Amino acid sequence: MDETRKQELIKTLSSRLNQAMRMYLDNCTRCGTCIEACHAYASEPDIKYSPVGRAQNIRRLYEKYFKGAGKLAPWLSEAIEFDDAVMKKVYDTAYTCTGCRRCVTYCPFGIDTQQIQSLAKQLLIVADMEPKVLSMLADMSIAKGKNIDKTKGSFATAVSNLETEVLERWRSEAGAKAVPLDVQDANVLYIALAGKHSIIPAASIMNAAKEKWSLSYFEAVNFGAFVGNPQKTKEIADRIIQEATRLNVKEVVICECGTAYRVMKYMTGEHPFKVISFIELIARYLQEGRIKLDKAKLQGRKVTYHDPCQLARNGGVYEEPRYILSHLTDDFVEMTPTREDNWCCGGGGGLVAMGEKDFRMKSAKVKVDQFTATGAQVLSTACENCHTQLSDLSEHYKTGVKVEYLSDLVSKALVQE
Amino acid sequence: MSDIAVAKILDLKGLPCPMPVVKMSQEIGSVQVGEVIEVHTTDPGSLSDFPAWASTAGQEVLTSEQNNGVIKIFVKRLV
Amino acid sequence: MVDKIFYFIMVPMVYLAFAWCAVGIMWKVVSILRLPKQTHTLKIFPEKSAAGLRATIEAFTMPSVRRHQPVLWFFLGVFHLGILGLILSHLDLLPQINLVSAESKHMLGNGAIGVAVTVSVLYFLLRRFRTPIREISVPADYLILFLLFLIFITGDTISWANSWNPDGFVLTKQDFGAYLNSLVHFTFTNPRDLLTGSHYVVIVIHVLLANLLLLALPFSKIMHTFFAVPLNRLRRV
Ligand code: HEM
Ligand code: SF4
Ligand code: SF4
Repeated sequence: MDETRKQELIKTLSSRLNQAMRMYLDNCTRCGTCIEACHAYASEPDIKYSPVGRAQNIRRLYEKYFKGAGKLAPWLSEAIEFDDAVMKKVYDTAYTCTGCRRCVTYCPFGIDTQQIQSLAKQLLIVADMEPKVLSMLADMSIAKGKNIDKTKGSFATAVSNLETEVLERWRSEAGAKAVPLDVQDANVLYIALAGKHSIIPAASIMNAAKEKWSLSYFEAVNFGAFVGNPQKTKEIADRIIQEATRLNVKEVVICECGTAYRVMKYMTGEHPFKVISFIELIARYLQEGRIKLDKAKLQGRKVTYHDPCQLARNGGVYEEPRYILSHLTDDFVEMTPTREDNWCCGGGGGLVAMGEKDFRMKSAKVKVDQFTATGAQVLSTACENCHTQLSDLSEHYKTGVKVEYLSDLVSKALVQE
Repeated sequence: MSDIAVAKILDLKGLPCPMPVVKMSQEIGSVQVGEVIEVHTTDPGSLSDFPAWASTAGQEVLTSEQNNGVIKIFVKRLV
Repeated sequence: MVDKIFYFIMVPMVYLAFAWCAVGIMWKVVSILRLPKQTHTLKIFPEKSAAGLRATIEAFTMPSVRRHQPVLWFFLGVFHLGILGLILSHLDLLPQINLVSAESKHMLGNGAIGVAVTVSVLYFLLRRFRTPIREISVPADYLILFLLFLIFITGDTISWANSWNPDGFVLTKQDFGAYLNSLVHFTFTNPRDLLTGSHYVVIVIHVLLANLLLLALPFSKIMHTFFAVPLNRLRRV
């Protein structure tokens, strides 16, 4: 590693040292309470996959450059300098952390390993060692924001081609658009993902509730956040903020994507509109009696629910999915542990996008044990990333459990008067 | 559109986010520069995603067509 | 020569150590305060009511450790309360402060606090030699615990040695009080004149080690004392 790169890395590290980060890096007592919190460690006990093990890589670099003791007596804290071997380790521990923040609830100080790993990911970008696929996706999202006008037409055609499938789930009144676009002053701007499976169920539900809504041209997921690039994270979120402002919508509703929700709701400052998750919107429709669901659809099958980390522990949406499930089935069972203690699916932090099938399957063994122990045949969740990972797990471990989106279950159970 | 000579057909129907673009970026290397991959997908978002990806990856989306809910995108490898 | 060294340890070095420690702590705290604040929330959900108060209580009671590592939690409790007790009991030696009666010959706790912290620190130390804590520990972690252990064991020796004389106490709360009183009044009296017991050397070692701890403290992980509450607030508020 040459000197210029080293200096750039030191500068990047320094740029991230705000009050919180400094306190996180200064105050770990290495008590080890967090070790058991990580699904990766719990599935395969290797200290490098423990939260403190991951953080130590960054802490030791920090000690070297920013602490007197680390400069004078590096052996005391095992302080180290930037070099290629260290950065390899950093890679291995940053891109095996899903950012679930389960460890934050274990630590007596609340040290946030996800924050430290997001710094690690930023260092990897400077070292030109980040997973290229994530940067590629982030760049794509940004380019999409710049060129959207060129592809609006074909996107609109594709969306109108979904009409039949939406109407199969809910017959709206004649003349109403099944998937409206560019609706000025809409109540809801719905931010989907690329696939039609994130549009069709949502469209049918909002149509059933007679909502004045509009589909966004952009996808909800923010790959800038996965790759740990604050600048790109902001640019990607800004596309949606601009669209919502232009249409003057009341609420921006994020599809079943945990990171997208957390980034938009909590990490991009104040907005002139409210940000909620689609799960909260469904719960509201049920509460207001705007939609009705038929429990017969899930009759005879036991259902459980996986709290997506970014939606629940890091986003606060716990009650709504359970409320929705109480309208879908009488045979619901909680996982143990559940809610803020729930195990991460093992697919977050960009791991699904990166492939990493081997690691994802091995590191989420505890997750498989947890959901199979419920005896449920249906594992519902509310995050596309979790859905992919849980489906992969179910298939890999041959559990026979069917993984379903909550929105899909709701949309199939809609009662048409 | 079938007058475009296609070197490879990629079926990316029904894949979860963000696999279509990921698969595309992996597969582009499997054809020669100047050759064309025909992508089949059902994701409306792909119609904006693929051109955006192509513009950052230095590749070219020639055209797209939609039939019976299947979206076909023709991507030419330039680099 | 030895007398001079002993004097240096028992008087000037104590002043140096306290001054250094106070300046060091202030410098550390100010250097953090001057940094930019965190911009987006780092809260864990569900949100709790009275979040600020709750964060403070959590910092002091460590409910997550109680849940996941009950044995560690027990010794952490004993240790930290013990440290608090030791600070109080040392202040109590001063004639101006009387938590236990001024006539008592014993230090607050009769030496039990010292034994409690010694056992706790031994537990922390032994734990660090076992997997998986061993793998995450760095030399500084062992050294600070070892230093604490030495301070405590010499303290225990002093409190035990005080009763060596069958007729009563070699040194009493009042004798130590006189030494501390001379320190707070900057009289620069030779402590040997006040502390006449034959175990004076153990007292000097105890003070020397305590000085070393104070010198190292601003650069050690014991600084968590000042950041435990603000850190817990990040998670809650
Ligand atoms: C407001 C005051 C304090 C709070 C809230 C606090 C909190 C904590 C917590 C949460 C731990 C972590 C658990 C662990 O490391 O195993 C800890 C460990 C520790 N504390 Fe404190 N502490 C405080 C004051 C002090 C003081 C004054 C000392 C001075 C000696 C001290 C010495 C230590 C040591 C040495 C450990 C580490 C034990 C080990 O290495 O395993 N603490 N403290
Ligand atoms: S954030 Fe989750 S994956 Fe990362 S270290 Fe903590 S528990 Fe493990
Ligand atoms: S629980 Fe917190 S203080 Fe203890 S080792 Fe983990 S990160 Fe460090």
